[in-house]
Amino acid sequence: MTQQFNIRRIGNFIYRDIVLLRNTIITTLSVVGALLLFFFLYDLRGDHIISEEEFASNFMKFYVVLGILFTFSIFREAHHKKSNLFYFSLPISSYERVTAIWLTTSALYTLLFSVFGFLIGQVAIVLGSMFSETNFHLLPIFSESYWQGVTFYFFIQPTFLLGAILFTKNRIIKTLLFVVLLVFGLFIFNGILFSIFNIGYDIFSEDQIVSNAFSLAREDFSGIGIFLFVIIMVPVMLLAAYFKIIEKEV
Amino acid sequence: MIHFKNIRFYYPKGKTILDDISLDFVPGNIYGVFGKNGEGKSTLMKIVAGLLFPKSGKYHVMGEAMSRNTVKYLQHMFIVPEDFELPGIKISSYEHINSPFYPEFSREQFYELLKEFKLSPDEKISTLSFGQKKKVLIAFGVATNTKLLLMDEPTNGLDIPSKSQFRKIMASVVDQGKCVVISTHQIRDLHSLINHIVILDQSKVAFDQPLSTISECLWFGKTRRDSNESIIYSEASFGGKTILSRQDKDETEVDLELLFNAVLNEPVRISNAIKNTHHDSAV
Amino acid sequence: MDFDNSKPIYLQIVDFFYENILSKRWPEEERIPSVREIAVMVEVNPNTAIRAFNHLQELGVIYNKRGIGYFVSENGYNTVLSIKKTEFKEEILPDIFKKMGLLEIKFEEVKDAFNQYLNNKDNEEK
Repeated sequence: MTQQFNIRRIGNFIYRDIVLLRNTIITTLSVVGALLLFFFLYDLRGDHIISEEEFASNFMKFYVVLGILFTFSIFREAHHKKSNLFYFSLPISSYERVTAIWLTTSALYTLLFSVFGFLIGQVAIVLGSMFSETNFHLLPIFSESYWQGVTFYFFIQPTFLLGAILFTKNRIIKTLLFVVLLVFGLFIFNGILFSIFNIGYDIFSEDQIVSNAFSLAREDFSGIGIFLFVIIMVPVMLLAAYFKIIEKEV
Repeated sequence: MIHFKNIRFYYPKGKTILDDISLDFVPGNIYGVFGKNGEGKSTLMKIVAGLLFPKSGKYHVMGEAMSRNTVKYLQHMFIVPEDFELPGIKISSYEHINSPFYPEFSREQFYELLKEFKLSPDEKISTLSFGQKKKVLIAFGVATNTKLLLMDEPTNGLDIPSKSQFRKIMASVVDQGKCVVISTHQIRDLHSLINHIVILDQSKVAFDQPLSTISECLWFGKTRRDSNESIIYSEASFGGKTILSRQDKDETEVDLELLFNAVLNEPVRISNAIKNTHHDSAV
Repeated sequence: MDFDNSKPIYLQIVDFFYENILSKRWPEEERIPSVREIAVMVEVNPNTAIRAFNHLQELGVIYNKRGIGYFVSENGYNTVLSIKKTEFKEEILPDIFKKMGLLEIKFEEVKDAFNQYLNNKDNEEK
């Protein structure tokens, strides 16, 4: 089984995916780049600087959504009826495939898009220093919100990765629905647990307590729920994607 | 060297597509897989290519049991499907991103074949005609130097000069390390290349013989009506093409279309004729 | 190369060799194309080409120099000539005689036609 995991093949596969999506990536980045530039220039008005928080706020406008779209587009070849044959007959194991895709759409994407955002911001600053009173300064990007956003993306991305391979049509909508159901399911689960433990209080009789229950359930979800999400969800989703790829037939 | 044993395949709730298929693919040969539409030719090709799971059965490559999607298995085979779409990138980029996955890939050979097909590496695949795309894929498949090269209707979409080029290329690539399996309806295009015939009928292997055995045992041609030889198979059409047991007669070229029809209509008589003769000569 | 339907392909390749040897395109004691080259040239399976080579080797028309390739034998031309003469006498002539009988053609008529053919050829050459 040493055959089945080879770093070089993973590298080759990442390179292959990027070349295949090159045109899409270039088009998207030029549109997003123009928008980002506009937002950054807008931020320069008044104080003539782009703050960490301003960067994070502009960056997050695109980062999560683009990342999810990227995750879906990376499976384009796998879902196309006339090209999936090449995708699945390529000599690469399913471990390698999932690893490569995950690295591309999470780590590599985050790294490159951050650099891209930084560069656009820097261009905005240079432009500002040329045409206004802006003093040239290095754009700070590593704010708390930035890290929160990145963490959030890393948590939810594997679920979308699974959706991207699991569904063949209307993949984005189905995945969103799946996520909504998942969250709703956790919510109900918490609610049920809560009501089981508090059955003696006859919670459904009085509106007051019901709303208490729900708010507690919600709170519970935001604490333990997110923890569960991190520890269990990410590996579970990646594993599910792996099994889905293994059994994929053409 | 590549061996499939008792392969069975059916779709959920569907009828059986392949029933107990066992085949050996020996290098140095060009196999022709024939069958009526819907008799599972493409399914068989996909199973061999590791793209579909058989419901039961075994794969052996060079004596090693393999599962269909191990990297090592996939490295041994390349498939040129009948209908496909290639990415809209330059031919050279296509080579660049896919060739690293095939350990025996020869870039020199690939670009040489492109030249023979009159294609330039700088051309964008999206600007090519379907026939030209097929040539890119055939060139790539040959250059991967996999032990097994599968082709589903390779001459579909090729113009007449390209078909001739295709035959030349196939004649040059088959050697002791390589086995080519071609599934086709275009018997005429390829009959000079194929030296082993596999015919699928009613989900089973109805016929699986090397051409040398066929021409040793059977005689193809027109006979006079008054001939008192027992006819194995005959077509009533004008000219009355007939298959006889060869016995002491001169060797004739195998008429693949006639053989195909004979196997579908008189499978038992054909296999008996081959068994008897082959048995006699073996004794 | 277009193939005749009834004759085995390997024998048609053999005929292709005969043609080249009789026309002196492939002179005696000279190297001829390899199995692979012939297979590519006439677009056949190399196994079929090998059969043709083996057949010709058995007849003594060609021989194999280990590691170098195949050569036309020392008296390859004469061998081919006698093979083709026998073939003409044993296969083509009986056919012609049968047709002559069927069409009631006298041998004299054939002789006249042959002489006329020779005359025409002479005239053309002049």
